[in-house]
Amino acid sequence: MKSIVLSSVVTALLVFSGCSTKEPAVDTRDTKHVQKNEAPATQEVQAVSTETVSSEDSMVQDSETSVDNGKMSIADIEAKLPSVYFDFDKYNIKQSMQERVDNVAQVGKSVAKNLNLKLEGNCDEWGSDEYNFALGLKRANAVKKVLVSDGIDASRISMISYGESNPVCTEKTKECWAKNRRVDFKVLP
Amino acid sequence: MKILIALFFFLNIVYASDATIEVIKKADSLPSIAVEDASISYNDTFKLQFFKSLVADLNVISLFNVDRHYRYTDYSNSSVLIANKNMNYILRYRMNEDDNGALNVKIKLFDHNQEVFTKKYRVSKKNIYMFISHAIAFDINEFMGAPSVAWMKRKVIFSRVIAPRKSEIIIADYTLSYQYKVIKGGFNIFPKWANSSQSAFYYSSFEGDKPMLKYVDIKAGKIKNIIASDGMIVCSDVSRDGKTLLLTMGLDGQADIYSYNTETKKTKRITFYKGIDVNGQFLGNDKIVFISSRLGYPNVFSKKLSTNDVEQMVYYGKSNSACSVHGEYIVYKARESSHAFTKNTFNLHLISTKTDFIRRLTAIGVNEFPRFSKDGDAIIFIKNYQGQSAIGIIRLHHNKNYLFPLKNGRIQSMDW
Repeated sequence: MKSIVLSSVVTALLVFSGCSTKEPAVDTRDTKHVQKNEAPATQEVQAVSTETVSSEDSMVQDSETSVDNGKMSIADIEAKLPSVYFDFDKYNIKQSMQERVDNVAQVGKSVAKNLNLKLEGNCDEWGSDEYNFALGLKRANAVKKVLVSDGIDASRISMISYGESNPVCTEKTKECWAKNRRVDFKVLP
Repeated sequence: MKILIALFFFLNIVYASDATIEVIKKADSLPSIAVEDASISYNDTFKLQFFKSLVADLNVISLFNVDRHYRYTDYSNSSVLIANKNMNYILRYRMNEDDNGALNVKIKLFDHNQEVFTKKYRVSKKNIYMFISHAIAFDINEFMGAPSVAWMKRKVIFSRVIAPRKSEIIIADYTLSYQYKVIKGGFNIFPKWANSSQSAFYYSSFEGDKPMLKYVDIKAGKIKNIIASDGMIVCSDVSRDGKTLLLTMGLDGQADIYSYNTETKKTKRITFYKGIDVNGQFLGNDKIVFISSRLGYPNVFSKKLSTNDVEQMVYYGKSNSACSVHGEYIVYKARESSHAFTKNTFNLHLISTKTDFIRRLTAIGVNEFPRFSKDGDAIIFIKNYQGQSAIGIIRLHHNKNYLFPLKNGRIQSMDW
């Protein structure tokens, strides 16, 4: 899944500081695809050159993984776990969403009992950078607390927040923003 | 009456250099300057592009009334154009392309008809012409003996979301007119300069099992992992010496602020509130300013590093969810209306920790991502208004805002 391309960092240096004589040495432990620019230490600035590596392949593979203990695939289980929605700037579970979270716990204790759950917190676009990420995390944590109280072992649950960076709807409407204030469920082997 | 006059003078002295006090300067009182092009290379489109960039930069230094008429002349003319004879200053420049394809620029500054300053510039390619434009404005500002605008030469680093969970990290000049994609592919956000020389930066990577804070040394071209956290991790601030980071981490689903020592690799939890604490910024050596939900909505608070006492810093605004700190000053983003969704206005406000004054810095639209320049002379921000995005520069001591159009997608985070 790692697909960072650190593109022509030496070129960037030359563009912005114009004084490097150091030969580039890229640590590839953290990057799969790194382009190095062997430019000499002159004021010459090479054209920006980048490469994009899609991370879609491995995602497809994930969704096709089948479950050992039953007939359902991970994709089938995830389809049984609809998102939980939240009010504006809130992270408490609404009464109307309680049953939905309880249902997730039931799935977690039955067909997905040997699998792990990943809770992904999301926000609408009305917050601010860091605050929105924290709000997304609090939403995921609120769902986690219900799941744990419903009997799911906390060690099977991981959380991540995507703030406002993972919208399912991009129109500028009330309905659309409401769809983005949510926690999604992912099932992990 | 005498008491009143004495009080007036006293207040004048006390607040003379307070940036929260608006300084009203009439445009008419500024000296005039015209710009004359004497270029011998390049087509008309590029000539005009450079002229516009130079006029914009001269406006931003806020020392002149800048004439916006494009006029062409010969570089060796000993006198200024007749159309410009009443101007206080004339800036004449000549662009030429050398055999290596580099852009060379010579400038002359006339005080009325007398040449008072000259300088040469060179960049390897014409597409980075804006750096020469910024450098010329910087030098003219220095020549005029005005407070430094060194921030003009600094770079902006920002992340841009291009699709759900896909982003780019970009380094740009202060007007964002030149952009260089330094990290492309994957979901990498919250870039933060690691030192004052801008030779390295931190960013949050969402590529692995857990969000990871990474460090990029631009000179060496190396990336290394710093620290991972459940849920989220953001580098919110870096101390002046670069040795201490303020991080927001989400351990156990709880967003709190931690300090991280880059030498000992040790973290220390700073906030303990069960709600949301984010966006920690150093306020001097022993305090931080941060955003917290402890009133039920996001607002700006401060806390001493040595105690648990928390102080509310802002009493205005319905939702103040982002801030930037320089010295005694705090600029914050405030939602001005109480509607959750209908035509909200988000304005930037400036407060001082030493006075009770609040200065509103913007008037309309959604204004966000405020960031002080390193010297506190200017604030950079993003304005969204009527479907248009712009990058704004606020000159605090000149009471002027400048906007540069922005064609990007939505900016996720920005550092200057």
